[in-house]
Amino acid sequence: MSRIRALQYYVLSRLLLAPLMVWTITTVVFLLLRATPGDPVDAILGPRAPEEQKALVRQQLGLGDPIWVQYLHYLGNLLSLNLGTSLSSRGQTVWDIIRDFFPATAELAIFSMAIALIIGVGVGILSASKPNTPLDAAGRIFGIITYSVPLFWVGMLFQLIFSVQLGWFPLGTRFPVTSLPPTGMTGLFTVDSLLSGDFGAFGMSLYYLALPCFSLGLVLSGIFERIVRVNLKQTLKADYVEAARARGIPERRVLLVHALRNALIPVVTVLGLTLAAMLGGAVLTEVTFSWPGLGNRLYEAISMRDYPTVQGIIVFFAVIVVIASIAIDIINAYIDPRIRY
Amino acid sequence: MSTLLQTHKIYRSLTGRLTRSTLRPQTSAYRLGALVAGLSLFLTTSCGKSTPPGGGTGSDRLVIGTTAKFRTLDPADSYEVFSGNLLYNLGDRLYDYEPGSGKLKPKLATALPKVSEDGLMYTIPLHKGVKFHDGTPFDAKAMAFSLERFIANGGNPAGLLSDPVKSVQATGNLELTITLKKPFAAFPNLLAFSGLVAVSPKTYKKGAGQFLPNQFVGTGPYKLVKVGGDSIRLEVFEDYWDTKPTNKGINIQIFSSPANLFNAFRTGSIDVAYQSLDPDQIQALENDAKKGDWQAISGPSNFITFLMLNTKDEALSNVKVRQALAAMINRDVLNNRVFRGQAESLYTLVPTIFKGISQPVFKEQQQKLGKDQIRSLLKDSGYSPGKPLKLNLWYRSNLTSDGVAAATIKAMVGQGYSDVVQLEVNSVDSATAYQNLDKGTYPMFMLDWAGDYYDPDTYLQPFLACEKGSVKTGCQKGQSQSWGSFFYSDRANKLIDQQRQIRDPKLRLKPLTELQAILAKDVPYIPLWQKKDYVFAQKGIKGIQLQPSQQFPFWTLSK
Repeated sequence: MSRIRALQYYVLSRLLLAPLMVWTITTVVFLLLRATPGDPVDAILGPRAPEEQKALVRQQLGLGDPIWVQYLHYLGNLLSLNLGTSLSSRGQTVWDIIRDFFPATAELAIFSMAIALIIGVGVGILSASKPNTPLDAAGRIFGIITYSVPLFWVGMLFQLIFSVQLGWFPLGTRFPVTSLPPTGMTGLFTVDSLLSGDFGAFGMSLYYLALPCFSLGLVLSGIFERIVRVNLKQTLKADYVEAARARGIPERRVLLVHALRNALIPVVTVLGLTLAAMLGGAVLTEVTFSWPGLGNRLYEAISMRDYPTVQGIIVFFAVIVVIASIAIDIINAYIDPRIRY
Repeated sequence: MSTLLQTHKIYRSLTGRLTRSTLRPQTSAYRLGALVAGLSLFLTTSCGKSTPPGGGTGSDRLVIGTTAKFRTLDPADSYEVFSGNLLYNLGDRLYDYEPGSGKLKPKLATALPKVSEDGLMYTIPLHKGVKFHDGTPFDAKAMAFSLERFIANGGNPAGLLSDPVKSVQATGNLELTITLKKPFAAFPNLLAFSGLVAVSPKTYKKGAGQFLPNQFVGTGPYKLVKVGGDSIRLEVFEDYWDTKPTNKGINIQIFSSPANLFNAFRTGSIDVAYQSLDPDQIQALENDAKKGDWQAISGPSNFITFLMLNTKDEALSNVKVRQALAAMINRDVLNNRVFRGQAESLYTLVPTIFKGISQPVFKEQQQKLGKDQIRSLLKDSGYSPGKPLKLNLWYRSNLTSDGVAAATIKAMVGQGYSDVVQLEVNSVDSATAYQNLDKGTYPMFMLDWAGDYYDPDTYLQPFLACEKGSVKTGCQKGQSQSWGSFFYSDRANKLIDQQRQIRDPKLRLKPLTELQAILAKDVPYIPLWQKKDYVFAQKGIKGIQLQPSQQFPFWTLSK
């Protein structure tokens, strides 16, 4: 079987497994939520609501049905891409919530990841290119510190320094509340402002993104620094690198073109999974920076026992993670000829 | 355009240098640093630092920061303090309160209601020339629709109106008649509840579950323009029939933590900080306000915290045990240790905002008891060092201050009575607590309450009334059962009905006083504290008014 054909089979098998993964996750979430103590009707109406009113709401929301009936309804709705209606914000669909809150999470995740890659890969290269030197030691210390330091602490510290003391950056939110934010099809303020040619809004969006993204990016950069450093060091000892040096290829080219490309293969895996996890709601960052993302909204929904919202958001996250993991597998299979499938 | 050029220049200069030189670690480190610094510089300079971040004080609109979350803005489903405040500013009710007092004044009504002899029929004349935000004219039919919808849609606060009201009718183009099931003296006050606003019949629908959580179309001084994930935008309603706002619009920024709200206020990103800051943050802002850095306005609120005692619990079914527990708690210590003096000690369930009605009955009865008398109460109940009283005190895990207060109460009990009382403190999340309270799961629970309307009735009836039960069985159905106290008293039920029928405040005082005396004698609840309400505003902000009913008018604010 040719490599391309084998790759096609591999992709197909991964895609066929995806619905099974999503179904497993959604079923587990459905059951776990019902096993959690706390009645959503009590959480919504409070302890003093009359029994008649509680019964009415329970009936309206279908919570009085047997659990298997609720499950079948849920699966039926899911198949028609209907994630249901929020229990706490009655009248608002879960898709509305995802549409309103996900762009903020996506924007934060994408920009943070870009910063993490720039810093992490950069420091990793510097460290690996000068092994056992003070620069290498500094790079390792940087990696360990950024990898181990809690995000909420870094976030609060940066807020205190750059927002409160120096007044360089704003606190909370994505755009000045007194101005109307850019509107567009993506919901990403940076992209929408560029698409509409509003460069002032683009600069403002970046300004508001800067501090949360830099904090999150810095903390995440430790992971990339460590992976790049270790892999690059290993690759630089490989025979083909020695051969390249022997052929008189400049060290910079050997490092960046020959060695780095191979050393970056594990980075792709980590990058994909980290991005998927971040798109799945960087709750701590969002709470620390008052960032109006989906992770923050999910946290609220959990505390309200808002079953449809929690289920809907988790299904959405699950689909992102599944797509991301398939994409990583495919990219890895494509770029690394050693992978067999 | 200059921003774009600057970006381009920075990008070119950085990338240009990188491609020309050879890769040397030392210079690369500088370049990486230069890249980060350059990016920071670009962001800072391109967006300007001269105006405060967020544009708060630099804008002609006002920015109010808060940590309060809202679930819905549909008046028929909204029951939280913050959404009530938004509705207060977006809509008009039939009645409102005079600024700074609890005195009722007509709003959409032109006069106080005419009440029939039997106290069941309320006839209310309405204003003409009022328009909804969508241009629909306001009339009695629209008001009747709004009140009927409040009941029919079965939202969170529906019971407030469905319990006392039999029918709502438009008896004229500008005349509304409301018929009650039973006389209810505080009914006009109930009509000032923030959710009982007029809503446009053109936009809203009547029917169970028909809610619009992110919209509002009423008649108030502001129109709701946008509800974002963390912000709300209110614009002045140009066709407003009453006095127009003195500002050009309000932006509300919702922060995820008190720390962010605190910092945002200190950096000037927001004009006003309202609800909720931690006690140490309030203290810091108050201290700085004394230096003139900003303004601090505080006032008593209608928010009370109390301990619910389960009268069906084996130990707590004994009234002497309940009395002893009430006497052990030093509210002033609680106030100082937990809230740094930012609360008021509460000696009855009726907050002190009701001057002359709120009686410090627990101070008069329990607080005067000495250690020996408390020990004697416990001894009479069969507890001694050999057989100590074992109790569990519960609180909601999401409320940090309740946790500290519970631990402080445990320490108080432990300090003088550790040999005879063993108090354990436990926490549980709110959703689980609300599910189990009325089932009698918890012997003691720390809870809070904000009255629905400005009347002492809303601090007594919801706690002491019981529809079905007896002294022997306790409350089987009714208000005290829903809290998990199960308190039942024929006398209390009678007094509650009686005070609801008396419209003369002087005559009403007697049953209200007796109800509080019953509370102190039978101790189904132990009142703990009444929070103060705080607003912090930047120096140039004028017109801040805090209503005792915990409503914050935005339309008087200006700068």
